[in-house]
Amino acid sequence: MQFEDPELVAEFVVEANEHLRDIENQLLEIEASGADINVDLVNTVFRGVHSIKGAAGFLGLESLKLLAHSLEGVLNLMREGTLVPTSPIVDVMLRSADQLRGMVATIETSNEVDVSELAAALDAIAAGNEAPAPVQQREEFRESVAETNVASEQTTPAVDPIDVPSSEPIVESVPTAPVANTPNPASASKKGTPSASPSVSAETNIRVSVDVLDQLMNLAGELVLGRNQLLQVTSTPEHLGLDGVASHLDQVTSELQDAIMQTRMQPIGSVFGRFSRVVRDLSSQLSKKCDLVLEGQDVEVDKTISEAIGDPLTHLVRNSVDHGIELPADRVAVGKPDAGTLRLSARHQSGKVRIEISDDGAGIDAETLKAKAVSKGLITQEQALSMTEREAVRLIFHPGFSMAAAVTDVSGRGVGMDVVRSNIERLGGVVEIETTIGKGTAIHITLPLTLAIIPSLIVRCSDNRFAIPQVNIAELVRIRPAEIAARIGQVKNAEVLRLRGTLLPLVRLNDCLDMERLDDRLEALVDAEDAINIIVVETGKLRYGLVVDGLFDSEEIVVKPLGQHVKSCPCLSGATILGDGRVALILDVPGIATKSNLRQRQDDQQLAADGSNNDSHDSTEQQPVLLFTSHPEEQFAVPMPMVARIERVHRDQLDSVGGQELLQYRGASLPLMRLENLITAKPQQERERLFVIVFEAAGHEIGLIAPQLVDIRNVSAEFDSMTFGEEGVCGAQVIDDRTTRALDLLSLAHKSRPEWFAKNEPVISATAALNTPSPITPATKTILLAEDSTFFRRQVTSFLEDEGYRVVGCEDGRVAWHTLKSGHEDIDLLLTDIEMPNMNGLELSRHVKDDENLQHIPVIALTSLAGQEDERRGREAGVDDYQVKLDRANLLKAVLRFAPIGVCQSVGSTE
Amino acid sequence: MTTATIDKSTTGSSTLQIATFHVDNLLLGLQIHQVQEINRHLEVTAVPHSPRVVRGVINLRGEVVTVVDMRQVLGLPTAELTKTSRNVVIHFGGELVGLMVDQIADILTIDANDIDPPPANISGVDGRFFKGVHTTKDEIVVILDVDEAFSVS
Repeated sequence: MQFEDPELVAEFVVEANEHLRDIENQLLEIEASGADINVDLVNTVFRGVHSIKGAAGFLGLESLKLLAHSLEGVLNLMREGTLVPTSPIVDVMLRSADQLRGMVATIETSNEVDVSELAAALDAIAAGNEAPAPVQQREEFRESVAETNVASEQTTPAVDPIDVPSSEPIVESVPTAPVANTPNPASASKKGTPSASPSVSAETNIRVSVDVLDQLMNLAGELVLGRNQLLQVTSTPEHLGLDGVASHLDQVTSELQDAIMQTRMQPIGSVFGRFSRVVRDLSSQLSKKCDLVLEGQDVEVDKTISEAIGDPLTHLVRNSVDHGIELPADRVAVGKPDAGTLRLSARHQSGKVRIEISDDGAGIDAETLKAKAVSKGLITQEQALSMTEREAVRLIFHPGFSMAAAVTDVSGRGVGMDVVRSNIERLGGVVEIETTIGKGTAIHITLPLTLAIIPSLIVRCSDNRFAIPQVNIAELVRIRPAEIAARIGQVKNAEVLRLRGTLLPLVRLNDCLDMERLDDRLEALVDAEDAINIIVVETGKLRYGLVVDGLFDSEEIVVKPLGQHVKSCPCLSGATILGDGRVALILDVPGIATKSNLRQRQDDQQLAADGSNNDSHDSTEQQPVLLFTSHPEEQFAVPMPMVARIERVHRDQLDSVGGQELLQYRGASLPLMRLENLITAKPQQERERLFVIVFEAAGHEIGLIAPQLVDIRNVSAEFDSMTFGEEGVCGAQVIDDRTTRALDLLSLAHKSRPEWFAKNEPVISATAALNTPSPITPATKTILLAEDSTFFRRQVTSFLEDEGYRVVGCEDGRVAWHTLKSGHEDIDLLLTDIEMPNMNGLELSRHVKDDENLQHIPVIALTSLAGQEDERRGREAGVDDYQVKLDRANLLKAVLRFAPIGVCQSVGSTE
Repeated sequence: MTTATIDKSTTGSSTLQIATFHVDNLLLGLQIHQVQEINRHLEVTAVPHSPRVVRGVINLRGEVVTVVDMRQVLGLPTAELTKTSRNVVIHFGGELVGLMVDQIADILTIDANDIDPPPANISGVDGRFFKGVHTTKDEIVVILDVDEAFSVS
């Protein structure tokens, strides 16, 4: 259809979309309030539909006008109070709204759409004929819903699943769809336009609040002012006052950038909003009852994120309703309320946004998943046996798990989950799943706030600079010339790096990018030491080392797209502009892995690595530590698992506010600690550049100033805790002929910022608690910790107490067993090391599980390196779970699962 | 994108403005509205694994723009950058693309009727990249077919 005045039509489309944007939720709200009609709300919807009708009539859009007219009629009766909105009525109204939206989206062909059936259905409602009776007997359609999913899954992996609620097969499989005196209204929407998939159209316009615009105008004004000053200053011969102008411009530009970023931020509620409808429609199709609870809708994320997250979330929500929430009868039978609850929440957390989808449904059965994975040949029987529950649950993210047969099974909760995961990972996010059979499932998604700016490390390769996104970087390794022979080896013609007992495949960036190496003369000039810089990067499960020619600083870069001629280069994901105005390309870590055939090589090397692991296994327990010096004569060690990240900063970035030192970076300030203020240590020497070890304590980030880093090393966990008995120091040992004190970061943080810890339980000394059994408040849970290494015992105790647990420490299995048997302590959870003198952890576990008074106590075994063989032996001895020592986040999660307490609701946040 | 078709049937009154530049011994021309700007910005960042015709990318006031070597496009031997080398930034496929050329020449105003169909081969270069030729008193201007010359294969 040709329009006489296309501009007018375009305006109409914008306006109509405005009216239709919220109509879905408004109708749902009208439905929810039932006979208690909210006249204002109905009026709002009425007015919107009325103006669509008017304008459509004017523009000759007859079909639109007809449908809007009929919808308006029904709304009119509602606002007069003569018609009570019921589910079946609202059903028809929702479908009409979908149809309107679809027709507006394809406005040129809107007159070809046959809306008579829907209009007739609406008219019948208005005429007082009972609306279509609610569809009964939904049970049998479950299957067909599921099949629909699969069908669409196979054709288009990134299916937009919203269309499924009204998807045709469901309707078609109901030849007797009970509709009062009107033709099947659903068939109209089926014949209709693509309206059936009201996926949030990728709008290219954005709504910005006037406040933000005003701010932008102000800043632009300031910028002009700054330019004028600059011109003035540069016209004077001495350039007087250039510093002042420069710093003013600096500030204005940063603020301007912030303000512009602000315009891109949208409340995530705009994404969450659509789920009311999804949940409503799907649960009624499946004869389920499900309440949707939304939290944190005002959390703001970048437009790019909110657009990209919609589909994966829809998938997860649908999965929860379809497979998670049980039928009402089944729920009542197990003592749950008949209506399930689906909770969707969003919150900000340390510069990221965290979305959680949790249901109180049936949970996922790890054994069923394993069995299915074995039957599909994804894993072997042996692998299945040695898999932990957590690993098994993660199987649902496995590609190939979502194929057709998976759906017919009882817990076929795997429809397209690999697609969900890969979509989220593409956004730089992480998805995790937690499930308890009978209790429900929670899926956590962590996403960056924006895709437009990413923190990256700038590296040099030949004479080019490249950016590597920080999310992909695990650590940096520098190998001195003397160590090269010992650290870098060959496996099947491929270079590998020996890193703390594992072998890491290496990729030389020069070779991978087919760049010529600098000639020797220049090479020598640039890096006189000739050390090798290796960046350990990871993507999904794959980890490898990237050999670069040099490192520059880490920068927040603005991602720019590449032109069409260079878009398809396999190792690049985009470009950015550096401080000097030149372009640097952004490396694509997964792309480089593919280009270098790493995935294949990984398997070979895994074998080799396993072999080399076993060799070192029977030596004493190892612990990776970060070594640094404060004063050149004093060396300190920090357990690596406690370290969130390391920042390299300039002295100028340190601020002192009210006696507290702060680090200004990335627009926020990080509280800092200095060793000499907390423990007996010599004052550090002033340096231009220093390092800050960032870790998390009591939910806050805090940094410890480490003037000079030495190395990351696997050292024996045997620390002498007697010589340097001081709070904040958990022991000492000689490393590289230097006495090295191991620091207890949490107790340092406690000393430095006691106010953070005030809300938690008082820290009870483990040994004191052992001797004097104290009355326990019901909120606290008591954990018995059997661990022979004082170092580990202190570390684990300190972070458990940090979370509000009471910890009873025992130095070996026998002491632990006596403590348990004595009955002085009411133990809620046993954490035990495996290798201990007198009685090892497996024996202890076996004793506990054989004792009828104690066998209810869950047992978590701690190892420094969880191998499958260990896990199998552990399970035979009755161990409930395995955790890696000092993997604080996961250990706390596990502890929380077995011994939940109120105070640590936020434990999920610790990674 | 706005590549106006140069049609012989257009009425005699229509005139065209053609920006011309030298590549090797060819004088090439583009309609002026296709050209965004001409600058000396040729300090490119090389892009690994890019097609041979791509010289690299530059920062054009905050936008990353691909720079194509005109000589490579036409299958001619590459030349070193000289004092007269220029970057002709054109609109192509919804984005900007820079063309590295040897030297800039005049802007000609010509009648659309004065453009003849290109011969199959001009100075050893395949005629499919050309839309037509315009003969002046002492030179032949070859009008470039942008779509054909820069399509991403």
